[in-house]
Amino acid sequence: MQRRSLLWTFFPPVLAVLVLSLVLVTGFAGQAVRAFLVRDTGANLEHAARLTVSTFAVALAAGDEAQVQETCRRYHAMTGMRFTVILADGRVAGDSLEDPGRMDNHADRPEFAAALAGQAGHGRRYSTTLDHQRLYCAVAAAGGDGTPFVVRTSVSESSLAEVMRGALGRIALAGLVLALLAGVTAYLLSRRLRNALARLQAGAEAFARGDLGQRTREADSAEIAALADAMNRMADQLGRRIETIDAQRRELEAVMSSMIEGVIAVDLDETVISMNEVAARLLGQMPPRAVGRSIQEAARDPDLTAMVQQALSSGATVERDVRLGDRAEICVQATATDLRDGEGALIGALLVLNDVTRLRRLEIMRRDFVANVSHELRTPITSIKGFVETLLDHPPADPAETRRFMGIISRQADRLDAIISDLLALSRLEKDTESGGIERVELPVRPLLERLLRDLAARDADGAARLSLDCGGEVRAACNAALLEQAVGNLVDNALKYSQPGSPVVITCTTGPETVSIAVNDRGPGIAAEHLPRVFERFYRVDKARSRTMGGTGLGLAIVKHIAQAHRGHVTAASEVGKGSTFTINLPREVSA
Amino acid sequence: MKIHLQREIEQLKKNVFHVSSLVEQSLKLALRAVHESDSVLATQVRERDREIDALEVNVEEECLKILALHQPVAVDLRFVIAVLKMNNDLERIGDLAVNIASGRHCMGGESMPPAFTETMHAMGDKAQAMLRGALESLIAMDTAKARQVLAADDAVDSHYRELCEMLRGEMTRRPGEAQKMICWLLVAKNLERVADQATNIAEDTIYTVEGTIIRHGRG
Repeated sequence: MQRRSLLWTFFPPVLAVLVLSLVLVTGFAGQAVRAFLVRDTGANLEHAARLTVSTFAVALAAGDEAQVQETCRRYHAMTGMRFTVILADGRVAGDSLEDPGRMDNHADRPEFAAALAGQAGHGRRYSTTLDHQRLYCAVAAAGGDGTPFVVRTSVSESSLAEVMRGALGRIALAGLVLALLAGVTAYLLSRRLRNALARLQAGAEAFARGDLGQRTREADSAEIAALADAMNRMADQLGRRIETIDAQRRELEAVMSSMIEGVIAVDLDETVISMNEVAARLLGQMPPRAVGRSIQEAARDPDLTAMVQQALSSGATVERDVRLGDRAEICVQATATDLRDGEGALIGALLVLNDVTRLRRLEIMRRDFVANVSHELRTPITSIKGFVETLLDHPPADPAETRRFMGIISRQADRLDAIISDLLALSRLEKDTESGGIERVELPVRPLLERLLRDLAARDADGAARLSLDCGGEVRAACNAALLEQAVGNLVDNALKYSQPGSPVVITCTTGPETVSIAVNDRGPGIAAEHLPRVFERFYRVDKARSRTMGGTGLGLAIVKHIAQAHRGHVTAASEVGKGSTFTINLPREVSA
Repeated sequence: MKIHLQREIEQLKKNVFHVSSLVEQSLKLALRAVHESDSVLATQVRERDREIDALEVNVEEECLKILALHQPVAVDLRFVIAVLKMNNDLERIGDLAVNIASGRHCMGGESMPPAFTETMHAMGDKAQAMLRGALESLIAMDTAKARQVLAADDAVDSHYRELCEMLRGEMTRRPGEAQKMICWLLVAKNLERVADQATNIAEDTIYTVEGTIIRHGRG
């Protein structure tokens, strides 16, 4: 709809009021003027009649009707009035405009009758003689012979109408001027209002654009100033509120992004509303890309999708373990709950992902450890028990057989002892690490490794021959000599055990800016990548069948790891299948580090 | 009418993504079942496959409904047609995953040389990456990504040939283990098929976006 401008809203009513009042004023004024004119003219006519009556009386007394006629004409020429002299019987004796002889009897004229009755006879009627509307006044007087006669004066109404027209014309001109004035006033008023409104509008539009600092100044009228004031207050309030909301949103974002759990919120259409960085990382996604997409698209995991759908449809909390990642290597405890607004209406669902990969791994490790330790302890005990029972129930006749049995029992008991002392060593190390570390001294590494070699040569000459040492005398590390010797010893034992007889094993020392590395490298079969992260676990065996026959306790590398940790260092393993393995102990150079 | 169509297509998209995530997970589970010789995982893969089959029918019916009721044109039409086709491909991949999972017996007995497991792993990873890439290209309507998937197929094929060669050598060396070698071969073959189906999906994505058919070397 085309809306009217302010000008056209104001102008027509103002004009209408003006026109109406003009019409009314003109009407009333016209009537008053007319009444005044008629009365005034009537009075004039009467005066003229009374003034002239004596003249006519003289003429009539003389009986000179021509004189009467002549006087009527003369007076007409002087005053513009029509004079008529009517005798008592109604016969016209003289008339200014007509020949009296041709005029009919005027006895029936109302003003004539009134004049004869002794009054001034006023009348306003159509003149049959002259064919138009006229005003009349008749006055009676006594003639020379005592018979009365009447002098009648009259004027045409058209002269009155002329006066009236002149007056009305001026009124109309005044009306036109007033209408113009009204238009100009309406225009000025509307323009002023329009400008004020335009300023308010500009202010409101600035607010809409978000420019809340803008202030509308308006001093025009109290109402508009109040409106401007209200708008300014609104902008202030809005600005404060937006700031609060902004701050809250930033806080929420900060909380969300620093949370350890992944959080995903979806609406009722299963569209992601927000997703924090952890959730995005767990799902292998980019948060800005995920928002606005469906959960099917964003999570790409049927279990999570099903959970969200369940939470949305039932309004209940759903909890489940879900595996994510390319090789399902991430273990996540997912909780889907319904999301409700302040009034308790369902507005979506919230999915919380708790990365429990490490926890699950630890659980598995502990479970495996208990199973393993029982298994490892049981094997020698079963063996010992078997042979002891055999010896008790069926002692072999041959002492050599008895001796052989005893030998086996002794070996298995040694094995038990080795496992238990390794376990004890481990628990002692753990305790030391927890209670603030072991005693460490800064000392050169080379003498320590040489001592290790000498010890080895005493036990295993072949092994010692395969070993080479690449270690400068200047390499110093903060260490507990006995423990470090044990750790390197374990690594060397493993290297010798798992590689082909005769293949070389190299111990290398390198010193970095803050750490010292002692690496033991062999040319054995290597360890597959999937086993590499787990070789330091207790009782973890790469090849379950083989290594037990080699006589290890399954705790050697675990001890190495714990010794390194007790030194505030760490141990790494690198290996390539078929090429060999390198185990490296990294230690800090200084005690304070 | 137009709004209705848009809503139906949105729903269809959701369902396709759901199926695709199921398929992706199914393949993941199947590969784990093989490498960990885990029969529980294999059972899960079969269960997933039943779910995928049910959803496939669902998606197909939805496509037909859209075609019949809304008679879409241009990109909408191409999308529905592409979904119809990739729906088939996805269902096939689900079946292939079941086949792969049944190869979990391959790992028993005497262990294979590490090079075999390595190649199989590499091949599994590549096939999975291709499937993921194809699904991502579908989600993002990204033809560049779809073309990367097409290019990656060669790598899977060469892995497959390499593994075939290795298995043939091993079979002549250890004829007693022929059963196991065949099992390996089947897993590898199925993986290679998964990669092929992934290229089909990528081609359908390109068709949806560009409207050009690039199958059979037309690209």
